Amino acid sequence: MSVTSFFQKTWVRWALVIIVVVLLAVAPLMMSVLTNQTLARIGVFAVGVLGLNVVMGYAGQVSLGQIFFVGLGAYITAYGVLHDWNIVLVFLLACIGPAVVGLLIALAAARLGGLAIAMVTIALPIVGVPLAKRLGDLTGGSQGLSASFTAAPEWSGLANDQWQLYIVILITAIVFLLTRNLVRGRYGRAFAIVKGNEAVAGSMGISPYWYKVIAFTVASLIGGVAGFLYMAVVQFTSPETMSFAHSITLLASMVIGGAASIVGSLLGGAYYVLVPQLTNIVDPNATALLQGAILLIVLFVLPGGLVSLPRVVRRLLTRGRAGRSGRGPGHLQTTPTAAPDPSVAAEGTPTERQGHA
Amino acid sequence: MGTFIQLVIDGLSTGSIYAALALAIVLVNQATGLVNFAQGGMAVLSAYIAWWFTGLGVPLILAILLSVAASFVFGALIERYLMRRFERGDPDTAVVVTIGLLTLITGLCGWLWTYNNQQFASLFSLDTVSVLGASVSIRSIGTIVVIVVMMGLLQALFIGTKLGLALRAVAVNPQSAAFSGLPVGRLLMVGWGLSAVLGAVAGALVAPQLSLTPGMMDNALVYALAAVILGGMSSPIGVVVAAWLIGVLENLAAVYVPFIGYDLKVAVPFILIFVVLIVRPQGLFGRKSVVRV
Repeated sequence: MSVTSFFQKTWVRWALVIIVVVLLAVAPLMMSVLTNQTLARIGVFAVGVLGLNVVMGYAGQVSLGQIFFVGLGAYITAYGVLHDWNIVLVFLLACIGPAVVGLLIALAAARLGGLAIAMVTIALPIVGVPLAKRLGDLTGGSQGLSASFTAAPEWSGLANDQWQLYIVILITAIVFLLTRNLVRGRYGRAFAIVKGNEAVAGSMGISPYWYKVIAFTVASLIGGVAGFLYMAVVQFTSPETMSFAHSITLLASMVIGGAASIVGSLLGGAYYVLVPQLTNIVDPNATALLQGAILLIVLFVLPGGLVSLPRVVRRLLTRGRAGRSGRGPGHLQTTPTAAPDPSVAAEGTPTERQGHA
Repeated sequence: MGTFIQLVIDGLSTGSIYAALALAIVLVNQATGLVNFAQGGMAVLSAYIAWWFTGLGVPLILAILLSVAASFVFGALIERYLMRRFERGDPDTAVVVTIGLLTLITGLCGWLWTYNNQQFASLFSLDTVSVLGASVSIRSIGTIVVIVVMMGLLQALFIGTKLGLALRAVAVNPQSAAFSGLPVGRLLMVGWGLSAVLGAVAGALVAPQLSLTPGMMDNALVYALAAVILGGMSSPIGVVVAAWLIGVLENLAAVYVPFIGYDLKVAVPFILIFVVLIVRPQGLFGRKSVVRV
């Protein structure tokens, strides 16, 4: 029995899900403050990367402005908290505000074909930073806004970092679950066709324009959620939150984690938080240099991102084995190329699978 | 009135910088179908190279020419060893590659020469002359003249020479060009080299005003992309006109529209884009592209 078929059994999957849930429920109580905070930040940016993945990985529209929606969500949250609004209302506003802005931008930008969406969305962080500085009454200008609403309540007996991590885990899990259902279902299949070939999509009655708008709006909404979580964990936002450099790092995280992949979004969030810390240790001046180099190397060696690493390794292993066994007489060359790797054939890339379903 | 003329000429001057960068983007896009987001980063690197040469005691004009030559080689090498692998594939991946390149080059400049502002000597004197009662800096006029001459040379190259004909052939249809015996790979390298040269000139002209930093061209890149969208990807003249329009309008808006001011003038081209998009999605001068299925 191969490893793949073991993991495809229903009871194994459920057991895994339960183990993960229990781990997530217990872990925050066991770990150090620093680990908890780092994990919470990973959750925040995993949601941000997930949003980018919806519009870019699944629907194939390059967006360089995702960080703007994260920043917008963070500002709305900070403003609401500072004015003592109900926290549920604040959360809803942090979702709806970015979604509406995203919808308006998408309605215009999706009229452009191809890469023009990338060229328009690059303006969002570049306009967003001076705009945030200008609207000082709302945003606190260059100083930014501090707002704290995630102090652990008395009855829970938790430390602040534990309480924050629980909030992040809960909301992140819900967002990931909903997004997974979205991209596996009717909309995900439509996104995949729009990404693959717009003319074909149009001929099947799927309007590329509207599905681009939907993807962009959903991405903005998820960005807003990430902004809310950002305030929950970091408790401070400034124009710097939505800077162009951060936008590029977010995009790099998505590609390095794995485009069009739910797990890849989590890996992307981890990359976003952990790698700058690592490169800072190596040489603080070379952070951008190393990040660019890592991104290019991943694109060269592992175009599917980190999430495709196990698949690539498995393929290399099977190819090696097939090569050795196929060296006998009569098998010259044909075996390695003709025998398709069953696991690769079964899985394919996530997008292809949706295209077929 | 004097202020107005001054603003218009300064706008044309910055617009020329955007135009050079936008033309570089169009040049690459016509040849390979991708948008090079690293164009601004490459221009910054060229400016740093020129600045480094001046630090060695090389006269400014010679330093700029040397950096232009180096940029040509650098652009060609990037095409050959980095972009070629992604040119036939998914355009989204290729775009991400150029963004990686932008990060890499910006990081390289910051690592080699720090993120602090460096003073870059101006090619033109900072004196002003009086034009129709407005005092206009010689630098603005010089910038416009240099860029217009560059465009003229480029146009002459594309229309009047065999190399230009070959470059145009590759842009129209790489397969047919290859079948008629053109060395497509080498021509693409030349195309990338030329676009890097355009960027290098823009970088050397803008560096004295903005002072040299690794992120110096980020805003210029955004303006150039806006010009490309407004002008239409398929129309070099349209792109140049759009770039000038953007340069002039943002300058006027910064002064005459109180809310916009100098910090928010970067929003002007995008307000313009939204208006144009609703009326003419293919750009002011572009043709509607028809894709055969």
